[in-house]
Amino acid sequence: MPSKVVSFKLNGREVEVMVKPLMTLQTLLREQLNLTATKAGCRQGGCGSCTVLVNGEPMMSCLLPVEDVEGQEVTTLEGITPAEGLNPLQEAFFEKYAIQCGYCTPGMIMVATALLAHNPNPTREQVIEAISGNFCRCTGYAPIIEAIQAAAQRTNGRK
Amino acid sequence: MATKAYFLPTSLNEAVSLLAEHGPSLLVMAGGTLAMPLINEGVSMPELVMGLRRAGLNYIKRSDGVLSIGATTTLTQMLNDSNVPFLQEAAHHVGAWAIRNMGTVGGNLFAPPPSGDFAVALLALDAKVKLASKKGTRTLPLTEFYTGFLTNALQPGELVAELEVPLPKGKTAYIKYGRRQHNTPAIVTVAAHLVMDGKKVKDARIALNAVGPHPIRAWNAEKALIGAALDAEAIRAASDAAAEECQPFTDSIASDWYRRKMVGVKVGHALAQIAG
Repeated sequence: MPSKVVSFKLNGREVEVMVKPLMTLQTLLREQLNLTATKAGCRQGGCGSCTVLVNGEPMMSCLLPVEDVEGQEVTTLEGITPAEGLNPLQEAFFEKYAIQCGYCTPGMIMVATALLAHNPNPTREQVIEAISGNFCRCTGYAPIIEAIQAAAQRTNGRK
Repeated sequence: MATKAYFLPTSLNEAVSLLAEHGPSLLVMAGGTLAMPLINEGVSMPELVMGLRRAGLNYIKRSDGVLSIGATTTLTQMLNDSNVPFLQEAAHHVGAWAIRNMGTVGGNLFAPPPSGDFAVALLALDAKVKLASKKGTRTLPLTEFYTGFLTNALQPGELVAELEVPLPKGKTAYIKYGRRQHNTPAIVTVAAHLVMDGKKVKDARIALNAVGPHPIRAWNAEKALIGAALDAEAIRAASDAAAEECQPFTDSIASDWYRRKMVGVKVGHALAQIAG
């Protein structure tokens, strides 16, 4: 079967892409669209580094055929990064030393973005649970949890 | 070998027609959390794949004390929309958030232990599986759906369309014991459902996961309880029976020896929780 044209909303813009059968969203983003913030870690749905938001909900892009997101709204880290500077979550990750090698960071920030959208004031326990599908093998989780809570406080303070 | 075709049927009819047309060479996939890892890894190289996300099997209906759950209903939907605490607890213990947004109720029947921590709760509620093919549908008790490790009662041309789940009639307990709290493979998972008649146990369902080739019923433990008062002695007898009859395995999570010990402990905890 030939490739198919799939259209969906990516980071606020309508896109139309040509994909081979069963090509994953992860492969499309990284290899066809050069959006490499979404990482390719285990490709098993086990590490969370490829997490993107589909209609605002976190999903593993390595397990998601592009054809399944036809007509849906996909958000990657590129889509929530301001043209200049950083968003509050990114800033907090930077300030709290929540990044070492950085490989897990895009996935962590995407899940944290979804968490704060659902729950602007998460408890430490809720943060831990939300990121339980995202593995960090460098800094440990404490600074990441602190960063997400700091971003929550800061964002709420601004409202 | 790359996949030659990926079908996304938009109805159950279309799905079973595709299955009839292509036969066993067509891999059926719902949320992708089981099939895609194997495909990405090259362990599975299906030429033809059918995704069920758009097949209209995404629903939870409630009538006459029975939940009818479409096979591709996600675990997140169960968590948010089922309003059955026992099933919500079970859904909550599968994977992490992103996986629950993708993984489905029907798909969980195909998850090899130690996965399958939602299906074990279905077993404790005497759920039935509705299988659909081009010829029509048939309904099987979940206990008969499982036939072995990674094997089941599906005939060629059939797929899992719906789960029929009686709502709990008595008290329930769900305990998943893993090496950490969240997103963890099970050492053992216990799902218990007891109907009481005064102080005596009228009916009992005890289902276990991660200690057998698929989620299993602890039949002898159930027998030890039925007709007995739910006291320390009966709980002990049931826990011992469950530990004896389970079929634990060794993996990177736990040894078979430890799993068997923990079956005894956790069945005891679940029953004590129900006894209150």
